[in-house]
Amino acid sequence: MVEKDVLKKINFLKELSDPILEKVGAIAQLETFDEENILFRQNQEQTLLYMLVSGKVFLNCRSASGESLTLDEVSPGRTFGVSALLGESSSTFTAICVEVSKIITLSGAQMHLLFEEDFQVGCTMMRKVIDLFKARMEMHTRQFLYSLARHPDII
Amino acid sequence: MVKIEDLKRINLLKDFPEHLLEIIANEAQLSIFGTGTQLMTFNEPVNTFFMLTMGQVALKRELTPKVDVILENIQSGASFGSCSTIKDTAATYTAVCQETCEVISLSGIRIKQLFKENDELAYRMMFGVAQQYKRHLDTRAQMIIKTLDKNPELKKDVEDLENLTLVI
Repeated sequence: MVEKDVLKKINFLKELSDPILEKVGAIAQLETFDEENILFRQNQEQTLLYMLVSGKVFLNCRSASGESLTLDEVSPGRTFGVSALLGESSSTFTAICVEVSKIITLSGAQMHLLFEEDFQVGCTMMRKVIDLFKARMEMHTRQFLYSLARHPDII
Repeated sequence: MVKIEDLKRINLLKDFPEHLLEIIANEAQLSIFGTGTQLMTFNEPVNTFFMLTMGQVALKRELTPKVDVILENIQSGASFGSCSTIKDTAATYTAVCQETCEVISLSGIRIKQLFKENDELAYRMMFGVAQQYKRHLDTRAQMIIKTLDKNPELKKDVEDLENLTLVI
């Protein structure tokens, strides 16, 4: 169980109402992971949603040629591992702690049970995910069009 | 009104329980559109959620007055215009039928009303739409990573690799 005050440190959760936070808190766990601890690996089954309370996590990806690329340095307050939340078990990246990190973990399966018991909670969470994804999608599109405009030879 | 069997051909709805499909079937309309029909226009309000049962629809954006860029070709079973089900927002692309298309459409205003009346319907639709966005974003991320792998000199121009990871 994780207290509301801790959950409110997470960007994805902080605007949620107290009753929803209480339900989420009841199925959440706060864990401490050592430096170099691998939370999940690329292309492997991913069952947990992670919310970083303190510390730092790198998200790496290995390309087809075998090169490792660090795509993101996750800072406190951010959430990763959304594949688990959306019922898609395969992870797109590898997550590794680069410092001792305190992380809230939520089982994707338990989140789904919560959503099935309380559709309003599920709907609120999904709307937040959609808003964030939609904004990111539009940003990718704008950057793509900007790049094409700068490099018309690609067309 | 459309047949439940037609709704089951839509990817987003394939796991929907029968009682929700019945609600959607009562509200939806089946239409045929000819080649070149513009179903949505960039920057204009999106009032309709579209589900394609036959044909192909291009989602595009204007690069220059002479050049349009196709962002995606929508095939049968796919859906678009999901922002009409969430809030009043403008279209982020123009949608044009590439051939004769059979389309199931739902009024955005009506579906938002239904969401207020039926939490289960709202949740299952939102869950499906979120999954769709994630798949699109994952596909784009894989394409960008593949491109950077083949053209490492491009990495210095990419300032926001972190946005590929879907950290929220």
